Amino acid sequence: MASVVFLKVHDFARRPVSEQARLRAQLEAVVAVTTAEIDRASRIVLDATDGMAIVVLRDPQGALRLAGRALSAAVAGLPVSAGVDHGAVRVIGNGKPDAMVGDGIAVAAAVAQFAPPSELRVSHAFRDALSDAAPGAESSLVPAGTATDSGLRRHELFTRDRRAAARRRMRYSTLSVAAALALLAAGIGARVSEQGYESVMSGVAGKYRAMSAQGERRVRALAQKVKLQ
Amino acid sequence: MSRKKPGQIGRYKILEELGRGAMGIVYRAKDPALDRIVALKTIVLADDADGRKDYQKRLALEARAAGRLTHPNIVTTFDFGEEGELAYIAMELLEGVELRERLKQGPLPAAEAVDIAVQVADGLGFAHERGIVHRDIKPGNIMLLERGDVKIMDFGIARMRSEDFKTSTGMVLGTPRFMSPEQIAGMPVDHRSDIFSLGVVLYEMLTGSMLFAGEDTPQIAHNVSNVEHAPPSRHNPDATSMLDFVVARALKKDPAVRYQDAYELAADLRTCLAELRHRSAPAAEMAPDVTRTVKLEANENAPAAAVIAPETRLPLSRQFDSSAALQRVAKPGRGDRRLLGRSPRPVSLRRRLWNDAAPRLLFVTMLVAAAAGSYIAFA
Repeated sequence: MASVVFLKVHDFARRPVSEQARLRAQLEAVVAVTTAEIDRASRIVLDATDGMAIVVLRDPQGALRLAGRALSAAVAGLPVSAGVDHGAVRVIGNGKPDAMVGDGIAVAAAVAQFAPPSELRVSHAFRDALSDAAPGAESSLVPAGTATDSGLRRHELFTRDRRAAARRRMRYSTLSVAAALALLAAGIGARVSEQGYESVMSGVAGKYRAMSAQGERRVRALAQKVKLQ
Repeated sequence: MSRKKPGQIGRYKILEELGRGAMGIVYRAKDPALDRIVALKTIVLADDADGRKDYQKRLALEARAAGRLTHPNIVTTFDFGEEGELAYIAMELLEGVELRERLKQGPLPAAEAVDIAVQVADGLGFAHERGIVHRDIKPGNIMLLERGDVKIMDFGIARMRSEDFKTSTGMVLGTPRFMSPEQIAGMPVDHRSDIFSLGVVLYEMLTGSMLFAGEDTPQIAHNVSNVEHAPPSRHNPDATSMLDFVVARALKKDPAVRYQDAYELAADLRTCLAELRHRSAPAAEMAPDVTRTVKLEANENAPAAAVIAPETRLPLSRQFDSSAALQRVAKPGRGDRRLLGRSPRPVSLRRRLWNDAAPRLLFVTMLVAAAAGSYIAFA
């Protein structure tokens, strides 16, 4: 099992061959730059007819970063989209490895097909893999609908939303505050129901007075010290 | 077909038999009226009267259409006629070798292969402009002449063959291994089908291997419709990346994204040819006396099962060194073996709280608030 990033050049087949050659060279340059941050022992680069695929071993976060960087690097004139999946892949070849096959590649290619230019789509399996590798990181991937590929296979798609993680943090913070207030209120409520409102309030007032008297004494002692010096 | 050589067919005096094909026999013959040596192709007509009438009509139409094609890369048709059970077509007699024979010796040098493809594409472009589709472009219908000239044979009459490949949906004309996917499917074909067939021929010239091999016709048909080819440069190091693109575009399964015009294909192939010649020129100039030894890859007549490769097969990129990762996949360490072999697992609550900051904040806050609430309630 590995993560597969499929970078697909849009309408590649419809373009003149000279433009295909230019786009291909551009894509290779983008892949060279973006794969540089991944350890060589963790990535395998594959050629596709209309793009390139990068198989990333044991690093879903790295795969997602790579896809994002490739898209941002490709904004300048390279109509590329990215599809990411996590699935089974296998090296094949007669004697020496010369190709890779597997569902991971097929799904990544299908998912890339549904991504508009300069956008990223990931599969549910990749979201699960990301969640497994880095719990919480999957929160940046939000649903982007479902799509059916030419083999009538349905894919649940997700896209990246940089603000989704911040929104989630905010939700959890608000929930934390609300939960804290609720628990404190429950404690107070329990005390009031047990001792009665007047008794609790007079107890609180007594504690308040005692605390303020203690505070006043400390302030005075401090002022005295300052005067002596 | 009779083994006996006829003395004369029509006005043509038969000199010798040149070969036998699915349609009939080809003779070297003499046209006494013009004192010209021609190739006389005979076609056996159908036995039943209705079928024969229809066949004769179509044959005459096709022969007339082919007769209008006068181009340096198309065999010239001089005459058409009928005698008894035979129809015949008198054509230009060519002295050369069929591409099919040449391919038996192995792949062609890239420049030579592209040069042949350019000439065939030019001939096709000329015919397509006049509304004529060959429908059976294959090495057996391409003749290599002296001085590097190339001619397409059987224009127009290729589609008249009686022993055509048949599918369950109907009759399909052509040779399955070189047919386009739409032709295989029995759908209407146009000039783009010839472009696909030329793409297959070019691929085989460059690699020396059969692109759509198979044990039987259904398997070949499946391969034509589904199997994607590996770039020719993987088999032939002389093939340029530009040539890979040209072949890929010619071999698109969908005719809408294939080359739409044979002249466009010819133009791109000329660019490849210029690149190939430019590439080989300096080497030749620098070492004119050195004999180059070129190691040719073995002819890959792959077994049928291997030919139907999964459609997800992607070749390793030659621009990037992936050997370290491949080594890791081939011989995984203990950790790799465990982690590369398993599917993602659901995240447990404990792992979630340990690794995910937002739920951890909620959990810790609730814990502290619960302790404070308990203190308030019970202390």
